[in-house]
Order: sequence, then structure tokens, then C-alpha cells
Amino acid sequence: MAIIEISNLKKSFGKLDVLKQITFDVNKNDVIAVIGPSGSGKSTMLRSLVHLEEINAGSITIAGEAFVKDGVYAKPQEIKKITSKMGMVFQHFNLFPHLTVKENLELPPKLVKNEPVAAIQQRSTELLRKIGLSGHANAYPANLSGGQKQRVAIARALMMNPEILLFDEPTSALDPELTGEVLEVIKALAQEQMTMIVVTHEMGFAREVANRVIFMDNGEIIETGHPSEFFTNPQNERTKAFLSRSLK
Amino acid sequence: MTLDYFTSILVPMLEGAQMTVLLFFIAIIVSIPLGFLLTLAVKSSLKPLSLLAQGYIYIMRGTPLLLQLLLICFGLPMLPVVGEYLVLDRFVAACLGFVLNYAAYFAEIFRGGLLAIDKGQYEASQVLGLSKWQTTTRIILPQMFRVTLPAIANESVTLVKDTALLYAVAVPELLHYAQTAVNRDFTIVPFFVAGMIYLVMTLVLTFIFKGIEQKYKFE
Repeated sequence: MAIIEISNLKKSFGKLDVLKQITFDVNKNDVIAVIGPSGSGKSTMLRSLVHLEEINAGSITIAGEAFVKDGVYAKPQEIKKITSKMGMVFQHFNLFPHLTVKENLELPPKLVKNEPVAAIQQRSTELLRKIGLSGHANAYPANLSGGQKQRVAIARALMMNPEILLFDEPTSALDPELTGEVLEVIKALAQEQMTMIVVTHEMGFAREVANRVIFMDNGEIIETGHPSEFFTNPQNERTKAFLSRSLK
Repeated sequence: MTLDYFTSILVPMLEGAQMTVLLFFIAIIVSIPLGFLLTLAVKSSLKPLSLLAQGYIYIMRGTPLLLQLLLICFGLPMLPVVGEYLVLDRFVAACLGFVLNYAAYFAEIFRGGLLAIDKGQYEASQVLGLSKWQTTTRIILPQMFRVTLPAIANESVTLVKDTALLYAVAVPELLHYAQTAVNRDFTIVPFFVAGMIYLVMTLVLTFIFKGIEQKYKFE
């Protein structure tokens, strides 16, 4: 059963149509890589799933509940409840610079979740161990490398126990030698069957980890398929052109 | 010039300095929160409120503080009908003037501080499920405070020196006693003593703010 159903998403900034009729489903445990040239609408599509962008038409259904149906949004409380099933990891991490790593992880659930503090602390300790940053619990983000920051950001998203994790170009702001450590964490999550949508330029990663690749260009989904098919035998001319440029 | 003379002018001047310090604390403690409320008003989606706040800031920053003080102390009581109810104690009137004026400056400082905060901070807060209030108080304000600390420190030093304007509305303070001693004793020593006292006050203030900055370095 589909955990996310996206149908006929449309969004425009003034006269520019950023998303035109985007429709696709995400099943539980899917790892979907969304690729495409800059300005193709990948990020806008992803951001609209957590209501960081308002769409103009279409429906988004999360675990059976629509927070926007035919372009009409539900009440704010309802939207909040439905979108809270998703966590998001940003290109620029967006860690809270005035909080330590541990506080970054623990403050949001303390404020939002009705949960004993001990349980929250236990989870943050576990997650820090998992991302290999136990020794940095009391460090401030300013003292971490980009790769470390992004790992903390992933852990912070996981603290809310999301059913789905969205990644918006999680390695694009990193030095090339730091992308590996972040991709490793995402891979580990894939092995634990976390449902994820990853907007990425890392073709090798998409090929290795995703079970479906979506290629977007100019606000449309041009082609979608299993990575083994998609990368070796692309059907559409635009996909071929894009891949030949990116895989050089 | 003896030590006795020195003490004899220092004691009243230090008493005057108490007035300076008192005014400083009242102005800082009231104008900072008021300034922040003004910032919120400027950023409000209620257009009339925003325009009103912007107009207020423009007037307060666009006219001399001395003019504002004179207006409050001597001008208001001259108003027809309501004037007689507006005769305030000089010191109270001066505090009012400083608070109203400095709130406008702090509002601009805070507005700048808010502009410096990345929109990703709001986005992350939203996706993590924080309410608007939680985002403002737990995420945005602490960062704004950090960003604006140097500007607040600067403004505070200016405030210490601006307290000398009390002289113009005849509230006895540090400078008043210095001037009195100069006229009485035909010596410029009291001016230097006054200068030293101001320097000590701003030095202490500078150290305090350096300490706060160090504490909130987030590194």
C-alpha cells in the first residue's frame, strides 16, 4: 500500500510553472532517488510534501490522509498532524547554531512530543552512537565539519520517529571527501527499511541504494524506473542526454 | 591642589553618577523589551500597526534626543487643557524620554538581527513540528540576541554618555556637579574627574558585554 500518494501536483511562481502534473506513489520501505537538472522542480516537489511550499493544484496523501486535496488545504492543525509523519534533511543542514549537538536532538521532541525526558535522552544517545558522534554530544554545530553537521541533522530528524524521511540534496553543500560519511548513514537507514525520498546529484548512490529512480526535468516526471533499468537502458531522449552529461 | 579638594569634588560627583547609573538601568531595562515589541509591530502583517511603528521609529531616530527631552519636560505642560496633568517629575520625564528614544534604536537593531537569521532555521523548526511561539522563543530569539549583542553593547555605551543630557533638563547628575565645581573653584580639574568617571563606567560596561559575548559564543 502506498504511504505517500501524490497526484497532479501543480505549482507556479507567477508565470513560471515549476511543477506540472506531478503524480507518483511511494510505498512503504521504498527508497526513491529523485534526479534531474537544476531548476527541474525536484526540491520544490519535495518541500511541498512537508508544506514548506504551497501547491496550486493537486492532492498529497500521507498514510491515507490527505492534507491537500485538489488544491484545497486542510486546517493548519490537520496539516501539522499529517506532515509530522515526515522528517526532512536539508542541503544546508539547518542545525540550530545556539544549541549543542545533544540539545539539537533533544529540544524538538521535548517541545513537541508527549514523551518522558528519559526516553528522549536515551534515544539521542543511541542515535549519536549510530552516526558515530557520541564524542561530540556537547559540541556546537560551529565546531563540526559539514559531514558531521549533516549526520547530526539526520539524527535530529530521526528523533521525531518519522515514518518517512525526505532528503533535499543532502550532500550538495559538502566537500567531495565528506559526502561518503553522509551517504553511509542514509544507506544504513535504507537497510533498516526506512521509507525515503532523496533528491540527489549522486548518481552512484542512486544506483546503489534506491529501488526506484525518478527523473524530473522542467517541472515534469520524464522517466521513472528501477535503477538497473534506468541507468543502463534509459528510454527518453532527455533522460539519455542528462545521464550522458552526469555520468561522464 | 590637595587630596582634600579632590575628595570634596569627587563625593558630590559620585552622587551625581548614581543618577546617571540609575537612568542607565531604567532606560536599558525598559527600552530593550519595548524595542523588541516595536520590531514585532514593524514586522506585523497588520498594515496600520506596522506603519504606526515605522512612523514612530522614524520620528524618534530622526529628531534629536535633546529636543525630545525638552519637549517632554518643558513642552508637554504647555499644552492647552491637558498640559497641567503632564507636569512630570524631571527625572521621571527624562527616563520617559530616554526609554521612548532608545526603544526606537533597539527596534532597528533587533530588526537587523532578525534579518540575519537564515530562513532555514524557520523551515527546520516547522518541519520538526515546533509552534510559531516555540520557534520564536527557543530558536529565533536566542540567535537574534547573539547577533545583536555587539550592536546592543555599542548602543549601551552611547546611552551612558547620553545621560549627560540630564544636565539640559536640570536634573542634578555627574556633569551638573562637575560644572558647578568648575564655576565655583575656577579649575578644570572637575571636568577631568567627570571624564574619568564616564570612562570607568563605559569600561565596566564594555567588560560586561565582552563577558556576555564570550558566554554566548556557541562554539
